[in-house]
Amino acid sequence: MIIRNQDKINSPETIKQHFEQLGYICSDAIATSVYLACHLQKPILVEGPPGVGKTELAKKTSELLSAPLIRMQCYEGLDEAKALYEWKYGKQLLYTQLLKDQLGDVMRGAKGLDESVSRLHQFGDIFYSDEFLEPRPLLEALRSEDGAILLIDEIDKADQEFEAFLLELLSDYQISIPELGTVKAKSNPIVFLTSNNTRELGDALKRRCLHLYIPFPSKTIEQKIISAQVPELNDDLRQQLVAFISELRDMALKKVPAVSETIDWARALLLLNVDNLDHEWVKTTLNLLLKFQDDIEAVEPEIHNLLKSAASNR
Amino acid sequence: MQRVLGDFIHALRQAGLPISAAETLDALRAAQLVGIDDSRLLKLSLGTTLTKRLEHRLIYDDLFDQFFASQNNDVYDENLEASPEEPRQQIDDFPLHEETIAGEDGNSDADTPPPPNSALAQQLMNNDAAALQVMIASAAAAAGAQEMRLFTQIPMVTYRVMQAMGDSELQQDLAEMAEDEDESAALQLLQQRRSRLQQQVRDYVEQQYLLFGQGEPQKLRENNLNKVKLTSIDNHNYKLMGELVRKAAKRLASMHSRRRRITKRGLLDVRRTIAANAAYDGFLFHTKWKSTRVERPKVIVICDVSGSVSRVARFLLLFLHSLQDVLPRVRSFVFSSDMAEVTELFDKYDMDRALAEVMDKWANLPTNYGKALADFEGMALDDIDNRTTVIMLGDARNNHGDGNIGIWEEVYRRSQRILWLNPEGQFSWDTGDSIMSEYSPYCSHVETCNSLRDLNRILGTVLKHSN
Repeated sequence: MIIRNQDKINSPETIKQHFEQLGYICSDAIATSVYLACHLQKPILVEGPPGVGKTELAKKTSELLSAPLIRMQCYEGLDEAKALYEWKYGKQLLYTQLLKDQLGDVMRGAKGLDESVSRLHQFGDIFYSDEFLEPRPLLEALRSEDGAILLIDEIDKADQEFEAFLLELLSDYQISIPELGTVKAKSNPIVFLTSNNTRELGDALKRRCLHLYIPFPSKTIEQKIISAQVPELNDDLRQQLVAFISELRDMALKKVPAVSETIDWARALLLLNVDNLDHEWVKTTLNLLLKFQDDIEAVEPEIHNLLKSAASNR
Repeated sequence: MQRVLGDFIHALRQAGLPISAAETLDALRAAQLVGIDDSRLLKLSLGTTLTKRLEHRLIYDDLFDQFFASQNNDVYDENLEASPEEPRQQIDDFPLHEETIAGEDGNSDADTPPPPNSALAQQLMNNDAAALQVMIASAAAAAGAQEMRLFTQIPMVTYRVMQAMGDSELQQDLAEMAEDEDESAALQLLQQRRSRLQQQVRDYVEQQYLLFGQGEPQKLRENNLNKVKLTSIDNHNYKLMGELVRKAAKRLASMHSRRRRITKRGLLDVRRTIAANAAYDGFLFHTKWKSTRVERPKVIVICDVSGSVSRVARFLLLFLHSLQDVLPRVRSFVFSSDMAEVTELFDKYDMDRALAEVMDKWANLPTNYGKALADFEGMALDDIDNRTTVIMLGDARNNHGDGNIGIWEEVYRRSQRILWLNPEGQFSWDTGDSIMSEYSPYCSHVETCNSLRDLNRILGTVLKHSN
């Protein structure tokens, strides 16, 4: 990868600062992993609960390095025709039609079968060639001249077969296309893989990647995140809000609120002109934080206690 | 640095982390990149290259601190004598503290007695902590400190290290000095330093054991538990056993979790071929062949939970329900005299509670296979088809009652196959009230099953041949 902003990734510390300028507050672990990924040219596997900024990390890295971000969303049944390349069948068909018309001219005057065949060989075979190749995200990333950020999102949703198919790309930055041969990266992309752990990933894949686990942020970091994302929110409310969320995360819920939910909530409270977090407001806006009715029902009677302990633990 | 990192990775592996050679190389490159000055940065960098799982990361974090704390001690020792054992000794033995101070400037002291003969004694008199640490480390490596497997080996290895460092000569010196009254001050000094050295060596060896050896007894024990008879596992090992069962089940599950297809070679799938080649103007470029999907087996488990079998039953049920991923359709029945379906119970409660309930309600009654099979006929016979595998766990000890063989024959006829697992060894079948030979003609396999290894093997074949 040709890194344009070399000075921005000199050390984990500078990466962290630059991320902060871009509004992405991160821990040292995250900055170190990005630093290593850039310098060791290894893919990063990012794991963690949903909504802690896994995808955002790739986006911000692409912004930081001013490199294009190529994103591939994985899902069950994703295959190489959708991930790597496809032939432009329609054009190939037209090409054969053209060929049929041309064939008469080419063959005119040929004596015997042998000569016809050798003329046919001279004709050049472009049926399987770059011109009829429709690149998909993976191939696009490999072909990108100055390198790119390749985000393979939610790899755990894809099938095991697809995971195996990725191995060649991840270790050697190359991919084999049967009709064309091996395509090697012009410039190695930086690869981010994200996973929500719905399925255990194979060891072979893990071995090839750096591993980064992003947990829920600490209170201090979360406050920083909120102040970066929703700067208009006043300090006091922000502290109340973060403390309350962190209490909520300790409860046994089906889905605990993530950072993205905290941000949404902060935005909503700002919009509603709330300046002090009280029982009523929490109750009316709880559906922003909790996505299951069961969870909401479990939390509602506890709001009072939660607010109290949040206030004391602030 | 390579050596230190190599030792560290060895220690990690001993703690059960699977670290491949490729990851070791990555870690080395990462360490070269970030340098070793900032230990926090180094910890993060090595962590991200070496560990690929959250639970491994936690082990790693602990071990990193432990391991590099010991490495750091060497560095501190060079500067000042602030090794961890120092404060303790100050309390034990106050004069020593003064001695240390005296000893440090003792080198320039004109009154220093003539140096003793042995090399170790000289080292001790020089009080060169760094050199001593190096000596300890190399002697410990030679004495096999990293290969220790049991904590009882610690004293022996400590002794060996002391010997390798020349302790016997030192003691000889001490004996000689004791005869000479002029050297009593030097003698005392040397003795104190020797005891401190001994302490240091012991600490070092202990730490090496913690780093390298601790994982081994665990492995040894797990191995043994795998082989031991399920009926003779004591309560102490029960919990560990439960984990082992889950581990084994998970291994089986991941081995068989892929949906398999068997391609029938040579049978052209005309419909799919035409569809696939529509894009080529109807020319048949790509041929598609017929294939069948391999169905996962439908499993019905029947467990005898009367006294003698209940322990094995417990593990079999635990095993099957850990296989939930691969075997989505398991129906479980338990009986001693009456049969009852417990599938729902297992779904509803966690394993421990469900098992407790089963044991409470149905276990420890007199066994009656005839009655149980009659119940089974009513409950599940219609559900058995040619894709069903029936697993029966029982010792066929029927208290001299009627075995209702007819029903069992019917089950055999309808099902794909029947596995009968008998926790008793083959020699005791048909002894006493066992009627194994009456059932065995109507079983596809009859196996002795009384260890986790047996269970693993048998269920592995269930999954493998499920077509």
